[in-house]
This record gives sequence, C-alpha cells and structure tokens, in this order.
Amino acid sequence: MSEALVAAEAAGTGTEPVPAASGARQFWRRLRTQRAALVAAVVVALLVLVAVAAPLLTAIEGQDPTTYHPSLIDSARGGVPIGSFGGISGDHWLGVEPQTGRDLFARLVYGARVSLGVALAATVIQVFLGVVVGVAAALGTGWVDQLLSRLTDIFVALPLMIMSLALLAIVPASFPRPVLVTLVIGFTAWGNISKVVRAQTLTLKGLDYVSAARLSGWGTWRIARRELLPGLAAPVITYAAILVPVNISVEAALSFLGVGVKPPTPSSGQMLTAADVWYQAAPQYLLLPAGALFITVLALTVLGDGVRIALDPRAASRLSAGTGRKREARKEGTA
Amino acid sequence: MRQPSSRARRVAAASVGLVLAAGAAACGPKDNDAKGSGGDSTPHKGGTLTVLNSNPQENFDPARLYTSGGGNVPSLVFRTLTTRNRENGAAGAKVVPDLATDTGRPNKDATVWTYTLKKGLKYEDGTPITSADIKYGIERSFAPELSGGAPYLRDWLVGAANYQGPYKDKKGLTAIETPDARTIVFHLDKPEGEFPYLATQTQFTPVPKAKDTGTKYAEHPISSGPYKVVKNENNGEHIVLERNTYWSTATDAERKAYPDKVDVKSGLDSSVINQRLSASQGSDATAVTTDTNLGPAELAKVTGDKELASRVGTGHFGYTNYIAFNPTVKPFNNIKVRQAISYAVDRSSVINAAGGSALAEAATTYLPNQKSFGYEPYDLFPAGETGNPAKAKELLKEAGYPNGLTVTLTHSNAKDFETSPEIATALQDALKKAGITVKLQGLEENDYSDTIHSVKTEPGFFLAHWGADWPSGGPFLAPIFDGRQIVKDGANFNTGLLNDKSVNAEIDAINKLTDLDAAAKRWGALDKKIGEQALTVPLFHPVYKRLVGKDIKNVVISDWTGVLDISQVAVK
Repeated sequence: MSEALVAAEAAGTGTEPVPAASGARQFWRRLRTQRAALVAAVVVALLVLVAVAAPLLTAIEGQDPTTYHPSLIDSARGGVPIGSFGGISGDHWLGVEPQTGRDLFARLVYGARVSLGVALAATVIQVFLGVVVGVAAALGTGWVDQLLSRLTDIFVALPLMIMSLALLAIVPASFPRPVLVTLVIGFTAWGNISKVVRAQTLTLKGLDYVSAARLSGWGTWRIARRELLPGLAAPVITYAAILVPVNISVEAALSFLGVGVKPPTPSSGQMLTAADVWYQAAPQYLLLPAGALFITVLALTVLGDGVRIALDPRAASRLSAGTGRKREARKEGTA
Repeated sequence: MRQPSSRARRVAAASVGLVLAAGAAACGPKDNDAKGSGGDSTPHKGGTLTVLNSNPQENFDPARLYTSGGGNVPSLVFRTLTTRNRENGAAGAKVVPDLATDTGRPNKDATVWTYTLKKGLKYEDGTPITSADIKYGIERSFAPELSGGAPYLRDWLVGAANYQGPYKDKKGLTAIETPDARTIVFHLDKPEGEFPYLATQTQFTPVPKAKDTGTKYAEHPISSGPYKVVKNENNGEHIVLERNTYWSTATDAERKAYPDKVDVKSGLDSSVINQRLSASQGSDATAVTTDTNLGPAELAKVTGDKELASRVGTGHFGYTNYIAFNPTVKPFNNIKVRQAISYAVDRSSVINAAGGSALAEAATTYLPNQKSFGYEPYDLFPAGETGNPAKAKELLKEAGYPNGLTVTLTHSNAKDFETSPEIATALQDALKKAGITVKLQGLEENDYSDTIHSVKTEPGFFLAHWGADWPSGGPFLAPIFDGRQIVKDGANFNTGLLNDKSVNAEIDAINKLTDLDAAAKRWGALDKKIGEQALTVPLFHPVYKRLVGKDIKNVVISDWTGVLDISQVAVK
C-alpha cells in the first residue's frame, strides 16, 4: 500500500494541475505510447466484457454455473472428473468441478462478475470517501482538520483483513453478501487515498489561481468544485487504478476464508478454497481460478502503473510521443 | 428416570463432539486389503510402531478421556472392566470382558451389576490390581478438576448426581461396593441393560490411590495394559510407550501388542500425515494414524495407484448425517412439508459432496446400517437415488403450497463434508427441482452448534449429525427422541422436540433388557416408528478410509470404531 501511496503522491506532486478537457486527450496519448499498459488495457477490457457477457457466453456453451452433473464425475474415486484435463469437452470448455460436476467455465465467468463488480464498486466508495474527507480536512479549520486527519489515521492503521472478517461475521446472513463485501472493503480502506487528497489539496490551496478565486469572492464549495477537484484528478485516478487490483485480491482472500460471497454464487477466492486439496488429483480445478485471478490482478496493476506514468508530469515530459525516449520512461515505470 | 442437570448435558454436548471428532478421525483401514510388503503377512513381535496424528492425546488421564470403547492409543495403557471385541467388521461391535471375567452379571431388573476381576492382574510396578482401585478410578472422574468424561456415570449411579470426587468427599460413592479385592458391585438408579458397554470407557480403569497425583496423573498414569508411558511431552503432543513387563496375554485375550515400542507424534497437518504415509520413507514405513482419514481428493490420488490402494483400509463407524426439522417452526410444523423434502432429496449428489460413494453410503434410516444398532432397513419416503421431485410437488400441493415455497437451510461453515456448505448446496440444487427454493444460512462452527442445540434459537431446517458412544440403539435414539430429555435451558439434543409417551415408554422397556440382541431388534423397530414422523431426513452414513505405512501388518478394523485397532498392528 505504501508503494501505491508514493506512486500516487508522485503523480500529484506536479504543481501544474491537469486541465480537464485537453488533459484527457493528452492522457490518452501518453497512455497509448506504453505498450505494456496497452496490452493490459486490452486484457482488462476483455475481462470486463467476459464478466458483463457471462450469461450470453454460458448460453453459447449451453451450461450454467449451478447445475450438478453427477454423470461426469467418478463417485467411487472421491468425485474426480471423468476424462482427461478435468473432463474438458465440447460441452464443458474448461472441464467440470470435482464432487459436483458443475461447469467450470460458467463458474469462472460468473466468478469474474463478482470479483470485478465488488472491486470496482468498492473502489468507487473508497475514492468518494477519500476525496470528501481529504478535501474537507484540507479546507477545514484547525479542529476539523485535526478530527478528520486522526480519523483517517485510525482507518489507515486498521488491519483490513481482520476488520473485514469481524464485520462480515456479525452482519446477519440475510444481508446480500456481494453488497456487504463491497461495503466492508469500501468503508474500511479509504484512509490512504484521503491522505493523498488532503496533501494535494493543501498544495493546490496555496497556488495563485486558487488565491485569485478566493479573492474574487468565491465560496469554499465553489472553489473546491471548480478549482481544486480538477487538480486532484491525476492523483485520484492513479490511486484508484492501483486500488482496483488490491480490492480484487481482498475479495478473493475474504471468499477464500469463507466470509465472502456465499455458495452457490461462484467467486475465484471461493473456488480456490474448494480446490486447494485437489491440486494433485485435479490440478486444473486449482489452476483455473488461480490463473484467472493472476491475470486479472496483473493486468489491472500494469494498467494502473501505465495510468500513473501517463499522469505523472515528470515522466510525461520524457514521454511525449516522437522523442524516441519511450523506453526510458517505461523502464522508470516498472522500477 | 434420567434428568441430567443442564451443566452435565453441556459437558455431554462438548464431549459428544469430541467423540465424534475422534471417531471420525479414528476411522480407518481394513485388514483384508492391507498386506505386508515382504510377502510374509504373519505378524511378529518387535520393532517400533510410529503413530502420526493431528490431535494430541491431551489429558492422558483415564478420568478425563472421552472414548468409544476405551479409545485407541489409551487402550494400550488403560484396561477396563469390559472392552470392545478386537475383530474385523460386525464381530468387533461386541462387548467382551477385559479385566473382569465376564461382561457383568445383572440382577433381575438390570439395576445392580456385579463384576469379578481375573486373577493375577498387575500394574506396571508389579503391584496387584484390586476392585477398590476401579472404584477409586471412577470416583476421581467425578472431581471437577478431572472433567472430560461422558456423563453416564453421574446420570446412572445411585446418589452420584452431586458427588464431587474423592479429594473433597472422602466417603466415596455408596453406589459402588467392593466386598472383596476381586468383586465390584454397581447400583443404578434405573434399569440399564447396556451397562456392559459403559464399562468399556476409560473411567473404569483401575487407579492406585497411592500413586494418584491429581491433575498431574496424566503425565504418567500407572499402566494396567501392555504398554507404559515413558515420555509424555507438551500434554500429549509426543507420547512414547514401551512394554509393560507385568502385563500378560494370559489375562488379556484382546490386545496383541506386537511392537516393542509405540511412538505417538501429534500436531501434524492431516495432508502431511497422508503424504508421509503414502511415501512411507524411513520410520514412516511402520507408521499408522489413529485420527486422520483420506479426504476425497486424496482418495482420488490414492485409487489411481495400485500400491497405495492396497494400503488403504476401510471401516464403518455408527454415525448418521441427516437433515433435522424443528416442527415448531413454520412451515415445518406441517408433516407434508417434511415428507415433501424427504422425497425431494438427491442422496447421490449429497454423497458426491461428502466425498463420493467410497466415503459415504446412502442412509434412509436414522440408525446406522449395522446389526449391533438393531438396523432394520426401511425407506418410508422413497426418493430413489436422485430424488422424486414429482411426489414432493404433489405433497406440497396438498400442504397448501401449489406454487412451491422458500425455506432457509442452516448449516455450519466447517470444512468437514458433513454439515458443511458443500452438502447444503447439493440439497439446494436437488430441492429446486421440487419447486422448493432454499436459502442458505452458514454459521461458524461454535455458533452453529450453540444455535441448533438451544430450544430458543433452534432453526426450522438444518444439517445435523449424530454418532453413538457405543454401538447400540440406546445412545443413538434416546438423547435425540426421548421427550424427557428435552432441555429448556442448556444444550438440547432432542431437536425434533418429540415427546411421545409411547416412544418414551418403549425406551424405558428396552433399557430393562439385558439380552443385547433382543434389545437391538426393539431399537430397530422403534427407529422405524419414529421415522414415520419425518422429523429427520437421513442422508448418509460415512465410510472411513485410511492409509497405513508399507510395512504394517495385521490391520484389524471393527464396526465399533471403524478404524484400525492399534493394539493389533505389527511392524515385523
């Protein structure tokens, strides 16, 4: 997390705020020059597409994630899938789950829905809370800042996993689980982004154009909205991009520990828990969710890094297209 | 009539859990599959037997152990008045004499039981074993600081309900008489034809008063069996046993005691134990486990390898996994709803979730499918292998739910393939076909146990399991279906809240029988009668599969424990 913090702060240290309209175009141009980030973006886009189109894809396959297929497993041998590679066939593209015969492809794509949905929604909550608290702390009077900053410190210090485990254990089982996991992650892990936002807001507050706005009689709300938020865009977007894969990992870990989404709803973490004992007898059962999780987190992390470089003014000065110095910039990006 | 205090019941609850865990763990290999690698399968004396376990032998004191039939490792050190027959299969579910000359001589109504000790019985220090020592051993199991055993003695012995043990109450239990050094007489509150089964538990082990060190006795209990404790580290994590030279086969027909030394190592992960047994390298070649079964994935691997498959033993322990209903919760107050669910279950998918046909057998009776329990096959709501959703829908319609219904199934989040999410999900899928939408409520293990065993919080529809303290219908049916055992405050096991006068009367009548075969038949008939109320849906009986090291010989697995009997194993 601290690495992410440094990265986000680096993105925010440019005293020049990224102007909204032309900034976006510039951002895309800078992002496009990084090949790794582009590949990652394509992979992420595909994953999102697969998740969104999960019902369609499984309909094409002719399967669904919850139906049992007892005829496809060998009951006398502990329920291991019949056939090579975990029972891969034209009907079951990635084979079937041991002990139940449920279709693994369907479970994987529906699992991706849960992972991505929870991670993205949690990120939105984290960003919203972080920006609101961070800006309010920076603009507030002494005691408001003190109060909000200490509150932020408390949330930064909270061990996310332990907090989540505790919260998920006490909430009644009738509460919809994916929503609950989203809320728990979102409301627990917003401290760091709030710190970045506060620091950046304090920097921006001292700049001439903000002073000018204040002198011309603008209210705090209007200044925050019109002058500060655009300047916060770069560090916030960078931080958000780094948070998404972190949230995916947290959701997977919570489901792995049995407090995440409930069966029969599939999720990668839950599949990993069920699969860990099968690594010798049915390796694909473990490798599929592990691989899916690995690719998702890797792609999102590389993309997040690309976003950071594209928004970092220091890197950007060396990045501009056509200077032939892309390689250096990329090297710095992966350092 | 037995009306145990809520405290005793709670202890019972915890201990039953332990016994079940130990039983489940204790379940293992079958002899006719396992053969010595050298071709010579005759067992010989000598060598060191290694035991690789996950759970330590905590509180290795005969007063504190909760065992079925005297336990496995404990039975190497502690002899009891009676013990389980050390034979394969159903013959192993019989109770036989151990220290006593017979399994007990009852009076006419089975309220007084008399035992005579064999001649020439000695402890590890050569001093003779007397009936007074057995009385003392039982008395100290009542001491609060030595708790852990089953509640039966407190419930059954006359005037024992509030006894606090020999340290506080020097007078002792008047319910136990020792007219001479070889005779011991027990006086019970009510007829208990199954007393010989109870006398297999380690509380019936002789303890010499002069050597009693209270809570420290567990470090070095005085042996009456073939082995004595020479090392006990970290409260049973590592126990080393060597021959007790004063023990003799002349007085012990049950224990073979082939190895010279037994080295019990605990605290290992179950996958590590199975991995080490399958590799069988070094001392692991002569190793067994008394508490770790093969899981479904391990079974899949082992069955693919002929050599490994030949080292797997199979056993059956009296145990049933089932769906329980609380008939005071709607809609389960309607017997037609309960019957509909009975028809709708798909036992084949449940069995697959439990580990497949090699690890579970379909159950349509509440009693385990063994003769000693009085098993009488019946299938009152035939669901076939995969369920009968049409019949279930019909019943739901009659019950007033023509469009199906939505119910909540409570289960535990333990990863035990018994009351776990896998089983609940399989049922959810099966009931969907009958128009029953099942919502799942998973609870953490302790929370789950507390919730289902309290009359105040008991859900309407949940997964449950039950195992007996000894292989008979009594400890299987009475705690669950005797209406007088409903506990309003505290741990309640009569989850169906059944209080049927004719059932209660039949339980009392069977308890009077001292002919255990005749009693078994009546338990079987009673089980069928209770089954008509559809308060439970029996799902499956587990089968235990266990690996042994490649040089292990003479594997004996009884239907009493379902696991390899360590007293019969040879390493040479």
